[in-house]
Amino acid sequence: MSATTSPPAGATPRYIGQAVARKEDPRLLTGQGEYVDDLSLQGMLHVAFARSPHASALIRSIDASAAKELEGVRAVLTGADLNGDAHEMKSSYEVLIGSVGPVLEPLASARVKYVGDPVVMVIAESRAIAEDAIELLEIEYDPQTPVIGYETSLANETLVHPEMKTNLASVLTSEPDPALDRAFANAVHIVQETIRQHRYINVPMETRGLIASWHSGRGEMTFYSATQLPNEFRTFTTRLLAIPENKIRVIARDVGGGFGQKAFVGREEAAVLLAAKRIGRPLKWIEDRWENLVSANHAREELVHVRIAFDADYRITAVFCDHEEDIGALPASGTSLTTGQMVGMMFPGPYKIPHAGYSTKMIWTNTCGRLPYRGPWMMETVAREIMIDIAARRLGIDALELRRRNTITEADMPYTSATGMSYDRLSIDRTLEKVAAGIDFEAFRIEQGEARAAGRLIGIGLSHLVEPTAAAGGSFGIEVANIRMQPSGYVDVYVGTGNHGQGTETTMAQIVADTLGIEYEKVFVHDGDTDMVPFGGGSGASRTAVLAGAACHAAGAELRGKIVQLAAHYLEAAPEDLEINSGKISVRGTPTHFLEMTEVAFKAYNDSPSLPPGMSPGLEATARHAADGITFANATHACIVEVDPKTYRVKVLRYLVSSDCGVVINPAVVEGQIAGGVIQGIGGVLFEHFAYDENGNPLTTTFMDYLLPTAADVPTIEYAHLETPAKGPGGYKGVGEGGAIASPPAIVNAVADALGMDLPSQPLSPSLLFAMVNRAPTS
Amino acid sequence: MKCAPFRVELPSTVDEVVAALVEHGEDAKILAGGQSLIPMLAMRLARFDVLIDVHHVDGLASIQLDQNTIRIGSRVRQSEIERSDVIKRHLPVLAEATALIGHFQIRNRGTIGGSLVHADPAAEYPAVALALGATFEVTGPAGTRVIPAADFFLGYWTTALTDDEVLVAIHFPIPEGKRVGMTVKEVARRHGDFALAGAVASIGLDPSGAIVETAIALFSAADQPLRLTEMEAALTGHSPDSLDIPALSAAAAAGLAPGDDLHGSADFRRHLFRHLIADVAAEAITRAQEATNV
Repeated sequence: MSATTSPPAGATPRYIGQAVARKEDPRLLTGQGEYVDDLSLQGMLHVAFARSPHASALIRSIDASAAKELEGVRAVLTGADLNGDAHEMKSSYEVLIGSVGPVLEPLASARVKYVGDPVVMVIAESRAIAEDAIELLEIEYDPQTPVIGYETSLANETLVHPEMKTNLASVLTSEPDPALDRAFANAVHIVQETIRQHRYINVPMETRGLIASWHSGRGEMTFYSATQLPNEFRTFTTRLLAIPENKIRVIARDVGGGFGQKAFVGREEAAVLLAAKRIGRPLKWIEDRWENLVSANHAREELVHVRIAFDADYRITAVFCDHEEDIGALPASGTSLTTGQMVGMMFPGPYKIPHAGYSTKMIWTNTCGRLPYRGPWMMETVAREIMIDIAARRLGIDALELRRRNTITEADMPYTSATGMSYDRLSIDRTLEKVAAGIDFEAFRIEQGEARAAGRLIGIGLSHLVEPTAAAGGSFGIEVANIRMQPSGYVDVYVGTGNHGQGTETTMAQIVADTLGIEYEKVFVHDGDTDMVPFGGGSGASRTAVLAGAACHAAGAELRGKIVQLAAHYLEAAPEDLEINSGKISVRGTPTHFLEMTEVAFKAYNDSPSLPPGMSPGLEATARHAADGITFANATHACIVEVDPKTYRVKVLRYLVSSDCGVVINPAVVEGQIAGGVIQGIGGVLFEHFAYDENGNPLTTTFMDYLLPTAADVPTIEYAHLETPAKGPGGYKGVGEGGAIASPPAIVNAVADALGMDLPSQPLSPSLLFAMVNRAPTS
Repeated sequence: MKCAPFRVELPSTVDEVVAALVEHGEDAKILAGGQSLIPMLAMRLARFDVLIDVHHVDGLASIQLDQNTIRIGSRVRQSEIERSDVIKRHLPVLAEATALIGHFQIRNRGTIGGSLVHADPAAEYPAVALALGATFEVTGPAGTRVIPAADFFLGYWTTALTDDEVLVAIHFPIPEGKRVGMTVKEVARRHGDFALAGAVASIGLDPSGAIVETAIALFSAADQPLRLTEMEAALTGHSPDSLDIPALSAAAAAGLAPGDDLHGSADFRRHLFRHLIADVAAEAITRAQEATNV
């Protein structure tokens, strides 16, 4: 059928581009979201974990006799009891690319490797009783010297994993490049510095959790999960339990955020699945906030030794990104091998840089393991953009001017970076100019001078990025949409995403409504139930608009073609003469001669004799879209801050983002994505710091110490959108992570500008800022 | 993060509270607003077999104005203090200090007595009580006694209350008819956080404008609220114009040994105190000067 390639809609899009009300909001805003902990199953028992108090220790013995005696306790399981049930503990990512390091085990069996490492699982009639039982456990540890601090751990003879013989998990280096070496040798200026970032973490509002229910008669495992990737959780469980995936159902109703934390099945979740199968009663584990902070995996503790070579006109001739990252003891399955590579590959970012090289090292320590967090490679932008400002300060050139001179322009498109990234349809120079004008950079410099004279410290910071969206391989490279127009004319859309705050129910409905030419209110999007939706990658990697959106376009176009053919048959007209508007199908130019879509839908299911010869009954189409490489997007951020010279508190006065994510499906959703990311950046730079002491004891285990930004700490974020359509269906680019990637350096640069000094390390808490200001003059 | 099992007793008189305290000794704890106790129980940092809930005890929940004193029942909510017309008129600094405590949800539950007996050195009320010369009305098996604020706070989370005593009320003297200015300021990481550094000042002037009484108390400066007696002595008896308050504040701050943690180094806290002490002293003087017509 030629209809499969028909354009999205005969009429002007009604919904794409509009801030239509989110379908999720009525339930979420009235407290009627359904999270894992809102659910109870008949006969359900509760799980709590005893966790290691040591950063590194051998487990000498576990005496659970008193715990087992406690009334209400149903089982106490150790690694020795449970781990043998685990067939395979591997994410699909690890299956695809391999891994290094020890095989993950559900419960630590011989050695604990960080404070919070799960050691014993208690199953009881209530969570409180399970916690009572934990207090009765007698676990004898033989504490070992822990490896703390990734910058020294490679020289450390003490090992996180003694069997690995090294604390270096992996190292990846770009090919030797004599031209790169020559560029540095011939440079007029070389600026180098080490840019450090501290550990800060995902902190979803809903912690991890699941209810696992084993039906022995059917041989089925059903689990309700706070997951971003329902199908991956199902595939993982197939390997874990060695049962067919057809016998596994993963259900995620509402999920309260994840930011990457819920993209991998955690060891605790695996332990619950194994125990539920063994015990035969539904088990609930809801991670509490302490557990989430100490053991739901961490992120962002990394550094880059940056070297930038400039010519006499301050044009960048070469860069080298020497990256090191602390991946803790037990990072998420499959992430210890390659995640740093993206830092090196993306390091040139938005600038025309002829030569670039990189090296990246992933280093084990006795701390909580690393997990992806919104823009897991973001250190490329953090290090580069902080470094651009440092270079500007040292070379005596304005930071905006330095960016202007080096920015890739629209005239350069298509552009291939020195690390092989192929950019096209980007507006890098235009977002920069949009932000420079919107924040009024020149006027600010005047205001800044006046403020300084009055004893006020205000500063401006820019950050510039190219964001690789829908980038990941494996199942992240594909997405699916199955669209069914039901006999009533209402439409169900089944996508493989795992909506956990992205507004997928809304944006995908906008696309399908426009593609089919029906009302938004008649379209219902479903995800998060593996018995309902076809296999898809889930939500993460800024992929939903690009890949699920493309799949919705393709399936919608196919379905529209069938609807048009059917209507043409009934209207006795040629298909190409028909148009669809608001659910009415008419011959172009004679709007009074029409069929209601509902009539067509009814007949498609209920009146098969009336169908054209050879046409199958029903109205349904499925499309799978495979990513055609990375869909790049671009953005520029500008930030104005004031530093209180007495308290060293930083107040963000203005924050402006110019983002080009291609065609905007829903501006409110796009701005929500950007705002959420920017606020995580404000938190990361000014407040959040997951800290350990020198013995590996976590210091920030409640929200009294792990400080999240509050509404009072966040300005009204301003936007200046550009829309340069991507080449893919619909023209969408991802926008999920850029806010969190570009905001930290914008804020750091603004504070550094206010103080007139380099700030190569974070966080910029008042106390640390005070120490930096009073320690060192500008280098 | 679930509490270990405990039993709740619901006495209706102060005598019943004391009887319960006598019966259970150190196994019991009084539950007022629960804003510190309940999280500590949930995180299993503290454990008590019995909680004596004082919400039904008569006479603990009123604010009374006597001639030169405001008597505040120990179970009065912080939010009631913040909104009280009596307190806003006669002791506004107490309402100002209250607004600095946590967030409104916390103040809706938290009580003044709970905060004082918890005696967190970073809390506002203990320092205000110390600066203002409050007295603590406590009842035990031997009857009621009055403890001056200066004798009440003994260290981290430690007070002069014995295990069988209950705080019934706090008496704040009010500077009715005097030229007294009071103020409180603090610096916290975010609004609602415990203070990195905080200061309370109460300064009285004689008709000539000279300082006749000075009280400056700090919080988050030591293991308990701290009076700056040397600086107070340096101010008292002098005309404000003749004083170098920034220098005196710097000297006072230099002598402090505040805590040193992730949120604030000792050096940084001294730096903050230097400014805070100067700021509260200057503002208290200004307020006293403006109070001429009282």
